[in-house]
Amino acid sequence: MPEMIKSFRPYVTWANERGAWPDMIFSTRVRFARNLEGFPFPNRAEPRELAEMRRLALTAARGTGLFPRGHFLKFETLGQLERRFLVERHHVSRLLAGAVLPAGAAVSNDEDLSVMINEEDHLRLQCLASGFAIEECFAAAMRLDEALGRALPFAYSPRFGYLTACPTNAGTGMRVSCLAHLPALSRLGRMPAVLENLSHLGVTARGIYGEGTVALGDYYQISNATCLGRTEGEFCQNIDRVIRNLIRQEISAREALLKGRARLRTEDAVYRAIGLLRHARTLSYEEFMQNVSLARMGAAMGWSVGAGYSDFNQATLLMQPAHIQAAAGKALGPEDRDAFRAELVRKTFR
Amino acid sequence: MKLCEECRKEAAAVFLKLAVNNKITEMHLCPACAAKKGMGFGLETGAFNIGDIVGNMSGYFKDFLPPEKKTLRCRGCGLKYADFKESGRLGCPDCYSSFEAQLVELMARIHGSAQHTGRAYAGGAELKLSKAEAARRLEQLRAELNEAVSREDFEAAARLRDAMKRLGNGHA
Repeated sequence: MPEMIKSFRPYVTWANERGAWPDMIFSTRVRFARNLEGFPFPNRAEPRELAEMRRLALTAARGTGLFPRGHFLKFETLGQLERRFLVERHHVSRLLAGAVLPAGAAVSNDEDLSVMINEEDHLRLQCLASGFAIEECFAAAMRLDEALGRALPFAYSPRFGYLTACPTNAGTGMRVSCLAHLPALSRLGRMPAVLENLSHLGVTARGIYGEGTVALGDYYQISNATCLGRTEGEFCQNIDRVIRNLIRQEISAREALLKGRARLRTEDAVYRAIGLLRHARTLSYEEFMQNVSLARMGAAMGWSVGAGYSDFNQATLLMQPAHIQAAAGKALGPEDRDAFRAELVRKTFR
Repeated sequence: MKLCEECRKEAAAVFLKLAVNNKITEMHLCPACAAKKGMGFGLETGAFNIGDIVGNMSGYFKDFLPPEKKTLRCRGCGLKYADFKESGRLGCPDCYSSFEAQLVELMARIHGSAQHTGRAYAGGAELKLSKAEAARRLEQLRAELNEAVSREDFEAAARLRDAMKRLGNGHA
C-alpha cells in the first residue's frame, strides 16, 4: 500500500457526529479561491512556473502553523489510487486528481483544513466540518486565508475583489456549502420542485463530488451560486437561511412518510435496506449508498438500525473504491472490491 | 407553440428563469439548446445541473459578452479577449484591468453586481522567488526593457525598470 495512504488515518476525524442537525446535514464546507500576484493562472502557466508556485504555496502553508504533522503532497509522486483516495476524502477535486502538471496539496493532520495547489486557481483553501456548522467553518477557513494572505501576495483589486481564473469565482472567492441528506424529499419525488425553487434563491445544488456529479445516496451539496457583490457574511446568511428551510421541508417530508399507511411502506423499505446491508455478499458503492441512505433515515426516525450517525458518515467515506482498496491493502478489481465492501459493511452494521 | 429563443427551430420545452441577486433573465429553450448551455435537465437519472449555469458557462459567456475589438489583448499575459470568450478562463490577474470595461458588464450579468463589497485585502509579503526564477524573470524584463527603449515607449520602459527594481536585483 502506498506510503501516502498509510500516513492518513484509517477513519476521518472531522466526519464524526458533531455539528447541529447531524440527521440531515452531513457536512459544511467553506472554500476560498486565491491567486498570487505575479504569476499567470494555472491554465496559462508553464510547468516551471507551476512548480515555483507550488514551492511557494507549500512553504507558506507550513509557515502558517496551522498544519502541524500535516500532509504536504506533490502530485507527480502520487499514483492513481492515492489521487483517488484524496478525492474521496474531499481534499482535492477530480480535476486536480487528473493533473499532469506540477500540482499539490496541503492537508492538516485532522483533515479539517486543506489547500489545493494549481487547480483552476493557484490556491483553493477549505475548511470541512461535520453537521451544520457554517459559522465555525467560516471562522476556521478565514484564519487559514488570513495566514496565507500575509505570507503571500494575493491577486486582488478593490473593484473585483480576489481575482480568479474564472470570473464566476471572483469577488469574495468564497463558496460556502452544506452536504444535505434529503432521503424523504427524494422518496416523495419532491426534489425536482425543491431544486427548481433553489435556483431562484442564489444557490446551486450539486451531487456529492461537486460539479456535474449525480446525487448519490440522496446527498445534495448546496452552495452559493455567486460570490461578488455581497459580503462573505451575507453569503453565509443566505446559505444558512436556505439550509434551514430545506431542513424544514425534509422534516415535513419525513412526517409524511410516517403518516397512516405510508408508515408501513417506509418501515419496510428501511428494514429491507438494513437487511441488505447486513447480508449482501457483494455491494457496489452505488447500491451501498442507496441502502445506507434509507438506513440513515431509519436512525433519524428512532428505529433500531444498529448504527449511529458517526458510523454512517464514516462508512459513506470509507466504502468508496480507493478506500476499499486501502483497507484491503492491495489493488482490487471491481468484483473483488464489491465483495470486500460487502464484508466490511456486514461488520459495520452487525 | 413557442419556439426556442436560441435556435428558433425547435419547440421550446425548457423555461429558464435566472434570478441572481435580484436580476432576472428569462428564456424559453429547446432541450438541445438548454443542454448546450450546460443545463441538461437529467433529473430522471439523478444528474442535475439546475442553477449550475455559473459552473458550465462557455455557452453563457459567448451569448452575454459585450462585443469588443478582435485585437484586444491582456497587457500582462497577452491573452486575446476572443480566446477568453471561447474558454471562459482568464490568463492572469492583469486580465482584470486589461478587460475591465468588458468584465464590468459580464460580472453584472453573472453576479448581479460588478463591485466587490466583501473583505478588503491588506496585502501580503513580497514573493520569495527561487534564484533561478528571479534570474529568469530579470532576463525577460531586461529584454522587454530593451525592446521598449528601442521603440521609444518610455512609459513602458519606466514600468519595466520598476518591476526589475522590485525583483531586488538592481537595474539593467
